Amino acid sequence: MKRILLLTSLLSCYSYAYGNEPVRIGVLSFASPDTVYQRWAPTFDRVAADTGHTFSVLPLTPGELQESVANDKLDFIIGNALTTVTFKKDYGVSNLLSLVPNYHSDPDHAVGSSLITRSSLNIDDIGQLSTMSVVSSDPNAFGGFQILAGELASHSINPFKDFKKLTFVGFPQDKLLNLLLDKEADVAILPSCVLESAIEKGIVPESALKVVLQKEEPNFECAVSSSLYPSYAFSKLGHTDHVLATRVVKSLLTITNKDKEAIYGRYQYWSAPVNDREVFRLLRTLNRWPFVTNWEFLLKGAVPWVIGALILLLLGYLHHLRVKRLVVLRTRALSSEMEQHKQTQKELFEQQKQFYKAQRVLLTGEMASGIAHELNQPLAGIRYLTQGCLYRLTPEQGELNSALNKAIEQVDRAQSTIKRFRQFCQQPSVYEQCDLKSLIEETLNLMAPEFKRMHLSPKLSLERVTTIADISLIQQVLVNLIRNALDAMESEPVPQLGIQLLVEDKQAVIIIEDSGIGLSEEALNRLFFPFETSKEKGLGLGMVICKRIVEEHGGQIHAVNLIKGLKITVSLPIKEQQDV
Amino acid sequence: MCDIYLVDDDQDVLDSLSWMLDGLGLKTQSFLNAASFLSAVDINHPGIAILDIQMPGMDGIALLHHIKAAASPMSVIMLTGHGTITMAVQAIQQGAIDFLEKPVDGDKLSMLLAQAKEVSLQSHEDLRLQSEIEQRIASLTPREHEVMLKVLEGKLNKVIAAELNIAQRTIELHRQKVMQKMQVSNAAELAYLMAKSEE
Repeated sequence: MKRILLLTSLLSCYSYAYGNEPVRIGVLSFASPDTVYQRWAPTFDRVAADTGHTFSVLPLTPGELQESVANDKLDFIIGNALTTVTFKKDYGVSNLLSLVPNYHSDPDHAVGSSLITRSSLNIDDIGQLSTMSVVSSDPNAFGGFQILAGELASHSINPFKDFKKLTFVGFPQDKLLNLLLDKEADVAILPSCVLESAIEKGIVPESALKVVLQKEEPNFECAVSSSLYPSYAFSKLGHTDHVLATRVVKSLLTITNKDKEAIYGRYQYWSAPVNDREVFRLLRTLNRWPFVTNWEFLLKGAVPWVIGALILLLLGYLHHLRVKRLVVLRTRALSSEMEQHKQTQKELFEQQKQFYKAQRVLLTGEMASGIAHELNQPLAGIRYLTQGCLYRLTPEQGELNSALNKAIEQVDRAQSTIKRFRQFCQQPSVYEQCDLKSLIEETLNLMAPEFKRMHLSPKLSLERVTTIADISLIQQVLVNLIRNALDAMESEPVPQLGIQLLVEDKQAVIIIEDSGIGLSEEALNRLFFPFETSKEKGLGLGMVICKRIVEEHGGQIHAVNLIKGLKITVSLPIKEQQDV
Repeated sequence: MCDIYLVDDDQDVLDSLSWMLDGLGLKTQSFLNAASFLSAVDINHPGIAILDIQMPGMDGIALLHHIKAAASPMSVIMLTGHGTITMAVQAIQQGAIDFLEKPVDGDKLSMLLAQAKEVSLQSHEDLRLQSEIEQRIASLTPREHEVMLKVLEGKLNKVIAAELNIAQRTIELHRQKVMQKMQVSNAAELAYLMAKSEE
């Protein structure tokens, strides 16, 4: 857009902030900037002469005007009532003067909107408009469109949506009248007095067009279809110096309707600001309708919110990322824990397997040993008796002699078979460094399910003792003793098990005390004999195995009845590596 | 003169072993456990005990330990169903004559019994002699005991008299009394006797 700078002769007798800078007057313009400039230039030439300042008149489109106001690029503005009120609301622009245009002597009611159509068309109801082809010059034009839009809004009509055809054709306004005459449009929305002025100028035949849906306005010279609103207003921006403003206003107020400035500017004179309550109401009405929403302004207002929302979204996203990361970490930790657990379980299972294998081997050995013993006794008897017979033979009984000797040989053969069988079943022991405390703990761990089943947690008092022993054999002893203790307490309501490990006299002493049924004196005496059992399905080898293992380690095992329950004491000599 | 005692918890084995030894002309007494053995037999007399190891109550090894701890002249032979090397070593260390596996051959056992009998009698004799010497020593007065110790050191009467600060004549009388009480004729015999008792 062409900017025209007006430089007028100036007498710089005042020196304040503006200095030589021209005072900028923004004028709202829809039509060509030249027209607008020519309308207002004479007025401000006069003001320049009166105040000694340079003025530049800048015709601006509504968008440009708003941008300039928002950025304080102007000092004064001339705009229609709605623009002025809008800026007043949004940017604190203060209304200094209202324009009293030609024809109208009441500045409060100086402009309205007219619905113009051909004389042949009849429009009695505002609703009829929706079926017609409507033209207007600009959606932002105050008299031309916005006032009528306000009227429509109060009838709940949205011209953008509800009109069959709505076209904005721009300026000059006479163009719209020609469209009506050419039947290219049915209705034109124009400011008041445009038709009257066109008829006066002879552009339009007198009775070809008419104003419809007229409102009764007795003191208004032209026909209008809407309420009337104030005309142009002269306003100052917030930053503009009040001394300057006062001077400008003083100068403007001296203009009368006879002056050439008023004639060029198509007005009578400037008056004090009018009542703009109606305009505010219109603005509110229009703001409720999206078709006049000041998008740019809303956007600017929304920017902080949008930024806030974006920051929130970003924070949310970051939080999401963090949570995701935490989930990943936790999952990893959990899976490694699970892996570890699995490993532990596997180890435990392996331990159990080893334990049962060792137990099987031991049991087999002990069974072989037991059977061997049981067979050995009668065989020994047979041999003794046979040899006793031999000793009693008389020399005449030589025949019997060889038979009895053969019987002895048979016995010896049986004996050696049993002996070989026993040796075969005996497992060589593996002696190594053995931490008895952790062995006991490990054993309890191994038997944890049984403790859980009995809701029993043993009372432990374990010293750290290390000796040389066959770990798997000692574990057999521990498991046998603890299991016996548990079995003895099977029907006890409150089972109690105490396990102690202490050092006494260079001996590692393991004491296992239960609160079970105990043993009879006789059973206690035969506790360590094979095939002696009080258990229904027992083999009677457990305690035999224990005794044999303990003795093989050079230790001792004793059982004593307590007042309630049984106390088993196992003592093992503490050996160092070199002792073995 | 030298009784043979069998201790085993199996009556049948006990009977058959007893019967076999009877066939060899050896009389035996049988016991089913350590307690009945100990209550019936005076272990201060010579004798031979054939012990099973695995028995209820006091087992064979414990009984052996008990017998030896009481300074008994009795010979002990361990006879077990299934012995381990550890057990055998333990038994021998504790003073058993031998450690045998059941069933033992009659001939072998009879030889061992003869040997055990000798050992037991000898041991009994030693013990008897020992206690007799002890009795003889106990019959000495403190002064006589003092003099005897000096004599054993090979000192002459006058040296002893000087050391004890008494008359030589008195020493001679004490010395005579010692020889009489200890039932020896000279210092060499006394030294021999004392050495024997200290074995």
